[in-house]
Amino acid sequence: MVRNEIDLWHGHPGRVFPNHRQDADATKAVPPGATTENVLVGLLVGVAIIICVVAVWRLDVTGESGSGLGKQFTYDIKDMAKIDPNLILYEESGRPISTGFAGSSAIVVGPEGSLYVAGDKAVHMFGETGNLVGKVQLTDKPRSLAVSQAGEIYIGMRNHVEVYERQGNQLATWDSLGEKAVLTSIAVSKNDVFVADAGNRIVLHYDTAGKLINRIGARDEDRNIPGFVIRSPYFDLAVARDGLLRVVNPGRHRIEAYTFDGDLEFYWGQFSRSVEGFCGCCNPVNFAILEDESFVTCEKGLIRVKIYDVEGVFAGVVAGPEQLIEGGAAAVCEFPAQGQAVGFDIAVDAKGRVFVLDTVKNLVRVYSRKKAG
Amino acid sequence: MAENKNDISRRNLLRNGFFGTCLAGLGGLAGLLAGRLGKTRTLWQIDPNICIACGNCATRCVLEESAVKCTHDFEICGYCEICFGFFEPEPYDITEGAENQSCPTGAIKRKYIEDPYYEYTIDESLCIGCGKCVKGCMTFGNGALFLQVRHDRCLNCNECSIAAACPSGAFKRVPAERPYILKKVGHA
Repeated sequence: MVRNEIDLWHGHPGRVFPNHRQDADATKAVPPGATTENVLVGLLVGVAIIICVVAVWRLDVTGESGSGLGKQFTYDIKDMAKIDPNLILYEESGRPISTGFAGSSAIVVGPEGSLYVAGDKAVHMFGETGNLVGKVQLTDKPRSLAVSQAGEIYIGMRNHVEVYERQGNQLATWDSLGEKAVLTSIAVSKNDVFVADAGNRIVLHYDTAGKLINRIGARDEDRNIPGFVIRSPYFDLAVARDGLLRVVNPGRHRIEAYTFDGDLEFYWGQFSRSVEGFCGCCNPVNFAILEDESFVTCEKGLIRVKIYDVEGVFAGVVAGPEQLIEGGAAAVCEFPAQGQAVGFDIAVDAKGRVFVLDTVKNLVRVYSRKKAG
Repeated sequence: MAENKNDISRRNLLRNGFFGTCLAGLGGLAGLLAGRLGKTRTLWQIDPNICIACGNCATRCVLEESAVKCTHDFEICGYCEICFGFFEPEPYDITEGAENQSCPTGAIKRKYIEDPYYEYTIDESLCIGCGKCVKGCMTFGNGALFLQVRHDRCLNCNECSIAAACPSGAFKRVPAERPYILKKVGHA
């Protein structure tokens, strides 16, 4: 009986196939051609792996390799993003605080010093060290946020206001302002609540019970009020220590001061490519007022957080694109989704710290003033 | 000796082969008909929510003048006085002077509406689909400018050379009855 059959199918006369009667020694036999064959297969697999690695490595997912178009076709804002380091008065202190949201929208510091962040369908409260100390669950996405001296949380939903106590119990739901309304900011003083409606380009003045008192900022030539120019859903306001309401008019690149009756008193701010002014089509997007009555502003597009004194004179920079965006200006508009969400919000506390809510990475960065010298 | 049913004779082989071929033909015909009836005609289009305006559309199209053009969604537009799709990032002045305009081919037209609103329109005969204005509008504005394949120009190649070069995978096949992908209002 033949012990080993020749593998005629593969044409390798040296290759042996043990049959069921074959003894154990025969299975260990290595024919002379098998080593070369194994080496060849190994080489082929190796080359295939190398090709795969090179292909993945050379994969251009950001268009960096270029289109072959000339320099005049490139949108470059790298030079604009550069800020003189001597103008930067603040430095980041501590690690950023994770908001715990997939989409965050607003930030404010409460009277007790806690940090309130609105996002997804909730408001998260953080303590001094960034630890989560409380939550308020909502039924819809919040867009704006304010906390009264009594600790009541006023939350601007898309088209109406909801009021909660710190423990999460709902106190009131105000009437809807209609389908066109987009509430982007709320400010609370002792007896008054101001709501910025970007959709209708108006500020609504309520009492704390939700009764509408008047509308502020509608175009009125007799009262010398030019009207708000709102080109995107960013429209911020705050009540200053001088008793006047400050409202951003982003399309005119300025902050306007109104009495509670709606009279325009004065304004400051102008468009400028340089760091002293507000860049882009409509800026600043958000602002906050420090204890010394100076202003902290935040711009979108070229993301810059800056300080202006009480008269609106540029005083310095808290952070620029290099500090706020990974990769500096170059990464600002890499993807459409980022371009739509780069209106960072800001808040300040009694210690003069500036909290910047990164709405792309859903983090809060804390900045403190650099020590002199 | 009785004939085994499993034995393959020439007659059996031919008969079974004939029936098998007929069956396969019928199946193929039915599949073809079903495919023709159920198949939706598709076209190439750019998803503006994925497109990064890299500029490849201007250079990779097989046509001498790309089938991709800039599109302007007026519903999203802020009618900005200082439009960063229209103006260079650092313009000398806020006027329509060529030296201030971002578009290298002058394809964007600016028209005064009322203070401080301006309307912008695309001259498609000049647009090459480079996406420079798209990048500016996406960074500073509402993203009202975006690129789309114009189907009056597109050859609908089976293997689109722009799609092959698209770094973000924004090129996709869309049903012919919905040939354009518009941005959603309120997304900004």
